[in-house]
Parts: sequence; structure tokens; C-alpha cells
Amino acid sequence: MAHRKLIILSILAAMFVWFEASLWAVPLESLMPKKDLPDGWALIDGPQTYTEKTLFNHIDGQAELYLKYGFQKSIFAIYQNRKNPKNQIELDIYDMGNVLQAFGIFSRFRNEDRPGGFGLDSYLNDRSALFYKGKYFVLLYASESSPSALEQWAKRIASGIVDTSPSPKEISYFPKDGLEPGSIQYFPEGLLGHQFLKRGFEGTYTEKGEDKAEAKDRECKLFLAIFENSQEAMTALRIYKEDLSKKGRPSSGSIIESKTRALKGEDPYQGKVVVVQKGFYLLGVVGYENEEDAENRLAEFVRDIK
Amino acid sequence: MGRRRFIKTISSTFLGMAASNILKVSSSSGKGEKTATPEYRTLGRTGLKVAVVSMGVMNCSDPAVLLRAFDLGINFYDTADCYMHGYNEEMVGKAFEGRRPKVFIQTKVHVHDEGKMRASVERSLRRLRTDYIDVLVWHNLRTPEEVSDPNLFEFMSKMKKEGKVRFTGFSAHSRMASLLGAAAKSNFHDVALVSYNFTHSKGLKEAVALAAKSGMGIVAMKTQAGGYKKEKMGGLGPHQAALKYVLMDQNVSCAVQGVTTIEQIEECAAVMGISFSKGDLDALKQYQSFLHGRICTMCGDCAGECPYGVPHGDLLKLVMHHDGYENDSLLRESLQMITRQDIQHCSECPSCSIICRRGLDVRVQIKMAQEFIVRS
Repeated sequence: MAHRKLIILSILAAMFVWFEASLWAVPLESLMPKKDLPDGWALIDGPQTYTEKTLFNHIDGQAELYLKYGFQKSIFAIYQNRKNPKNQIELDIYDMGNVLQAFGIFSRFRNEDRPGGFGLDSYLNDRSALFYKGKYFVLLYASESSPSALEQWAKRIASGIVDTSPSPKEISYFPKDGLEPGSIQYFPEGLLGHQFLKRGFEGTYTEKGEDKAEAKDRECKLFLAIFENSQEAMTALRIYKEDLSKKGRPSSGSIIESKTRALKGEDPYQGKVVVVQKGFYLLGVVGYENEEDAENRLAEFVRDIK
Repeated sequence: MGRRRFIKTISSTFLGMAASNILKVSSSSGKGEKTATPEYRTLGRTGLKVAVVSMGVMNCSDPAVLLRAFDLGINFYDTADCYMHGYNEEMVGKAFEGRRPKVFIQTKVHVHDEGKMRASVERSLRRLRTDYIDVLVWHNLRTPEEVSDPNLFEFMSKMKKEGKVRFTGFSAHSRMASLLGAAAKSNFHDVALVSYNFTHSKGLKEAVALAAKSGMGIVAMKTQAGGYKKEKMGGLGPHQAALKYVLMDQNVSCAVQGVTTIEQIEECAAVMGISFSKGDLDALKQYQSFLHGRICTMCGDCAGECPYGVPHGDLLKLVMHHDGYENDSLLRESLQMITRQDIQHCSECPSCSIICRRGLDVRVQIKMAQEFIVRS
């Protein structure tokens, strides 16, 4: 009886997964507005589709970055405002394969926190809007200053994306207190500029200083490096220690000898650093001045990692 | 939460690990580190003394990499207004704040109307946290006419006059020889940023020499001839050899290496002051044989050989950009140059009379191009 229930449950689960997958597997082209455009706008160029092999066709020099983030396919079109033909909006919709990679590329393009209120997270200024939702990263550029039009376009496109994947869970691990809004980034390789740290997230924090003026320019980073397994994480920690021995100032004693899985020292390019291993993660704080503050943050970070 | 509580938390998290011991100890001094000897050359008429191994910041992920490069003696950094929606320039500006007089920054501007170009330069200055750009180059010029365009020259002259820019130039990914020739004649440009590597023809080497002789500073990019990954080449790692090969040409002032990690910039910087060895030659020979038949080097030796006048060079270029480089923006240009009639001519032609002096099977390449065009 229990066996039969298990089979039924498995079938239902498989159906659910299939249903979800098929729901999201809408053709990329269908996300590109062609008819029922916002009032006063017309499609004047495209849509043009690009693949992994042809992205160079479209992006001047940055295609490699998209490929690092798992680029699958993209579509591009230009719309023109009928009243003011000089006002054009260029729209790119990128299928990045999954929500983590979509967030990653979004995080590399967003250079400050100016949320527009669309997608899972977004950025809006006078001439550009960008957001990610599900596995899609969307970029809009306007030739003239038109934030309201960009917002309208972005909301329209976001509403057409049915991929309901939530934001990468790792974002929620970062402590909120002191976190600079919009500063969390995901790197598919070379986290903190180190090959051995591989992929992971980093977030920037404002440090608490003696007075407000002092605190303004002082920043530190929390990072979360993700490995295949705990062995890999331990190996990376050992390499980090060796690297600090060569270039920086590690804490005394060997982490292997003392059987600890943490590291403290001073990285010549990142500043003071504390790194700890938890399962297949390495978590750390770098570039801090206020030791107590940094350690408190790291402790909270470690505690929140599931 | 105080320090004690932190230590307790960490310790309990790791079930018996002595993390607290680590966290309690004081830092000790690091050991001295052996670094490569930086080597500098003059960047043409600009007079700037630039490190022969310089850095392309385009895909760089962290300011730490820039700071490491700086410590290695690298003083010339190439970025662009459009990289990462401007974030790349911001990172450069932030990393070198306080070090600005010690570094040379090259950024780019796209050809537009004057208002937009001016706005682009102003944005670059803001992001770079500076009041001058050392070298401003036109992004990806494509024809000798563009290189010699007095209107473009006029804009750059204004930027110089206003003190926003010290020196100007252009970048090119294709037709480098003809563009360098035109630039040498026009005398409009101080610097040329061009694709240049061991697979290129003697013609490009001569054009580089001609341009350098005219006073232009030559900055080489794409020195790795496509940047095939080690794994893809069965473990062969000729990257240092390829870089050394380019730097052997004294007409090249520097090469900008597109790196993303500290380890990569260290590998590149280690090339400075080291001469090209027999081992390097062997590595490049292996690399060349790996590339043999894979890419067209655009030597131009087969120009005009098609009796139907098909611009087959454009078809070969298309294949190279598609299959080889995987790192370029030139596919669009290649596609624009090819008409349906060209493809039709090739489809109907019973035998191709074009012979590649470098052993490239032109017929196979053209077939690949046709298939690609049909697909796209």
C-alpha cells in the first residue's frame, strides 16, 4: 500500500515538474512585444535572435561575459516613438539558462541601487532599465531620456514572463544590517579575483565608525564561495592560506596541523580577512577595519547559512 | 554581539573545530614575494612609458586584480564606456583613486553625433573619477575611410583642446593592415589598438611597422589568437608563448591582456623581461598546428581569386569569428558584408579555385559559412 502511494506521489511530482517546465518553456520570441505595443510606439527593427555562437554578432566585446554566465539565447528589437522618431528604445531579452545566472549577469550590470519595481530585482535610470525574472535578463536602452516609457516597457515585458523561480536563496543569507542596497553580486568564477575561490556571491557593507563622516567611506565585503563538496572547500581554504603566506600576512599556525577550518590574516589587495568553512561553502569577511563589527557580521552570516 | 560570542558561535558551528584559536591569534608578517621585472616601452608619439604587458579590464571581476597588476608594474589599463553598463569604468576609477597619476587609462567612444559622443566622454570621466583620459579611442573602426575621417578627428581635437583627453586613437578587429596604413597616412591618431598575434600575416607585421614609424603607439589585443582554453587544446598552454611572440615585435608598445583573476595577471606579467625561447617556439608550433585549418588569419593572399568575384574572405572571416575567436563582435560585420547572391554563387559553383597558402580548406570553410548563414 505504502509502495503504491509512493508511486502515485512520484508520478504526481513528475507531472508537476513537467507542467512547471512546460509552463516556463515559452519561446523567447514570444516575450518580445510585437503587437499591442504601448501607445505611440512602433517596432522598427527586429526581432533578431542570437545564439551562443552569434552573440558576438550583437554585443561589442562583452559577449564573453554573457557566456561565462551561461548565456543560452537572446532576442533584440528596436522600437520608435511615433511622435518623436529620435526617441527609440532598444530591447534585449537574454535567456541565461536559470535564475542564478540571470541574477548574476544582472548584478554585474547594475552599478547602483535604483530599483524600478519590476521583475525579481531591477534598475531604472533616465536612459536604461534592466531587470531579471526567472531565467531571463532584460535590458532596455532609450536614445532620449524617458524613464516613464522605460518603466512602462519593462513592466509589460516582466508581466509576460511566467517563470516563477524565486531569487537565488544565497541572497537571503547575507545579513541585512549595513548591507549596501543592490550590492550583492554573483560571480561564476574568480570570486574576489581569485581563481581558487571559484564561484560565489559577495555583498558590500558600510562599516560602523566612530562618527558618521568616518563611516561613510569605509566598506567591507562578505563573501560566500560555493564548491562541489566540503573537500573542495577545504582545499580552497588551504590554497587561500598559502596565498596569504606568499603575499599577505596570515595568522600563525597551520590550519591543517591545528585541524581548524578557518583562517585569519591580511590580504594585500582585499585588506583584513577572516574565512571559515561550513560544508561546501567558504564564508568570509574582507576589507574591514572594525574587527568586532566584522566578526559579528560573519557570525550572523555563518548562522544563517542553511 | 561581542567578540567572545562570535568566537563561541563559530566554534559551535564547526563542532569541535578549534576555530577560536585561529581567530584569537594575531597576524604575522607575510614573506617577501618574488615578482617579474617590469619592462616598459614608449607608446609612440604620446611619450607615455607603458608596461609591455598591460591589462584589458573588460571582464575583470574584482578591483583586487587591478591592484595586483599595479603592484606588478602594470600601468596601462584598457576599458570602455559600454563594458558592464559602465560598471567596468567605475571599477577602474575606484581601484585607482589616489593612484591616478601613476596609471594610464584608455577608454573608448562610439561614433555618434557630437552631443552623444560628448556625453559619453563626460560619463567616462565621472565613472573613472578623473578629469582627464589618457587615451580615448574610437571603438571598432572598420574602414580606412573612417580612420581618415576629418570629422572624427575634429571631435577628438576638441576633446584634447578642452583638456578632457590627452591622446586619441582607434581600435580595429579586422582589416587591421589597411586601417593602419590609412592611419599612418592621415596622421590623425596617436594610438592604434589592434588584433595582433602569431597567426597574422607578414602584411600586418609590416603595417604595424609602418604605423609605428609614423609615430603611432601600437597596442596589441587578442594576442592569444582566439584564446582557446587549455582543455580544448588537450592541455597545451601556449598563452605565455603567444604573448612573448607579440612582444618580440619592438613596434608593439604593449599588449592588453584580458584577464579576470590575480593568477592570470601574474601569469601574463611573468612574461616581462623574459626572452622568447625554443620551448615557446615549440608551444606556438603546436598551437599553430592546432589552429591549422581552423581559422583564416586574414592574410589577404587569396584576394581576387574567385572568378565570380565572391568576397570569399568575408565568408572565411565569418567562420573564424564563429568557430575560432568566440570572443569578438565581428560576426555582425561579416554577415553584413555577405549578400544572398554571394551565397548563391558559391552554392552553384562546381569547383572552388581558391587556394589557401596556409593550408586552409577553403571549400570546407565556405560550406561552414553557408550553413551558418542559413541557420542564422
